[in-house]
Amino acid sequence: MQVFQHPSRPWPYTGLILGLAASVSLGLSACASAPMPVEQLAVADAALLRADNPATREQAGIELRMASTKLAAAHNAAKAGDADRARRLATEATVDAEAAEVHAQSLRAERAARDSEEAARVLREELKRKPPG
Amino acid sequence: MTLKHISPAPKLRVRGALELAALSALVVTVGLAACSTVPTENASLQDAQRLYLKAQNEPTVTQLAVEEMRRAGDALRAAEKAQAAGEPLADVDHLSYVAAQRVRIAQDAATGRQADAVTAGAAAERNRLRLAQRTAEADNATRQLGVAQQRNATTSAALANAQQTNANTSAALANAQQGNADKTEQLNQAGALLNQAAAQSAEDQARLAQRKAQVEDLRAQIRDINGRETERGIVVTLGDLLFSTGQSQLKPEGARGLVKLADFLKRNPTRSAAIEGYTDSVGGEASNQALSDRRARAVMDALVGMGVSGTRLSSQGFGESRPVASNSSADGRRMNRRVEVVFAAQAGDLLVKP
Repeated sequence: MQVFQHPSRPWPYTGLILGLAASVSLGLSACASAPMPVEQLAVADAALLRADNPATREQAGIELRMASTKLAAAHNAAKAGDADRARRLATEATVDAEAAEVHAQSLRAERAARDSEEAARVLREELKRKPPG
Repeated sequence: MTLKHISPAPKLRVRGALELAALSALVVTVGLAACSTVPTENASLQDAQRLYLKAQNEPTVTQLAVEEMRRAGDALRAAEKAQAAGEPLADVDHLSYVAAQRVRIAQDAATGRQADAVTAGAAAERNRLRLAQRTAEADNATRQLGVAQQRNATTSAALANAQQTNANTSAALANAQQGNADKTEQLNQAGALLNQAAAQSAEDQARLAQRKAQVEDLRAQIRDINGRETERGIVVTLGDLLFSTGQSQLKPEGARGLVKLADFLKRNPTRSAAIEGYTDSVGGEASNQALSDRRARAVMDALVGMGVSGTRLSSQGFGESRPVASNSSADGRRMNRRVEVVFAAQAGDLLVKP
């Protein structure tokens, strides 16, 4: 069981989620009638809330929509009493949300790098064309 | 889908039934697989494994996304474990999907961090370029300062030169002014000389005028005594009326005729006079010579008797020589009988010659 943790920002619900995860995972079993994945659903909700911002919507809209669809499906499955399906969809929604966020970040970083390199190139050209003195 | 195959033509019903049977078998299999313990090949897991291996072969991913790769590895192992444990396909697929997504997250994270490094590098490059530019500008400014100082020194030297030149010029000007003063002085002197010369000239003119007056006076006197100006001087010819024939005694009326001559000699005390006696050719030559001597002497004595200094006078007879006319006629002989008084020419007499 993986809990989403952003490398640069502390996740405020980590303690709570770990506690829940620990208590719930004891009861998990592949073929047994599993309990509802309350913890995974909460983590997925939080991950979507976090990833769903204008920047990610713009740069990783498809990935974000996929995560959002899976989260809705997870909640539906939970309502329908399909605990396994709800757990899987919630976990996938979480990792999809994280993937969308990281993907958007990498695209922004690449764009910033291009801009920065272009700025350096322009400055170099400028200095080359106008030597001191 | 299944319902679609129930309604077609009877010919196809057998095949539809077969399909239904196969589908039922598949459903049963899937149902069995859910709780099966028999591990089988799983495409999703294989995809995840391939993705993970590929990422592990990318140095940027393994170096820049260490934590993300660790979590991807954990997820992949969970999927492999589930597959090995023969857990349901849905669970293996699900875990494989999560593992694959973790690999993608690691790749994106690595890409983002590499881009961040590029951004930082470019920023550093810009800073380095700006610093180099500033340094070059500072060097340039220093160089320009040096040049300006050099130029300043040159200008100062030129200024000193110019001041020296100025001083020289001033000295030259002073000299020139001195020279000018000297020239003015010379000019004044020249002017004085000129004035003097003009005065002299006026004086000369006055003297000349005076001389002219004197000469005019002399000519008047000469006219008065019936004198002629000749190359020998002023000659006054006294006719034979002074003497009786053969005699050397002055007749009284002849002596009166000498008064004007004596006056002339007194008024011109610097002139000396030669008194010359001449006869015609009648009679002997020797007696004529003696007669002419006596007659000249008689005239000189008469003049001395009238107050003229004898030292200025001389007398000489020339007999019948130097006739002025022919002795063959009475008029010619009368003209040859004569006494001439010759006043020596003096400096200045020629000036008055017309």
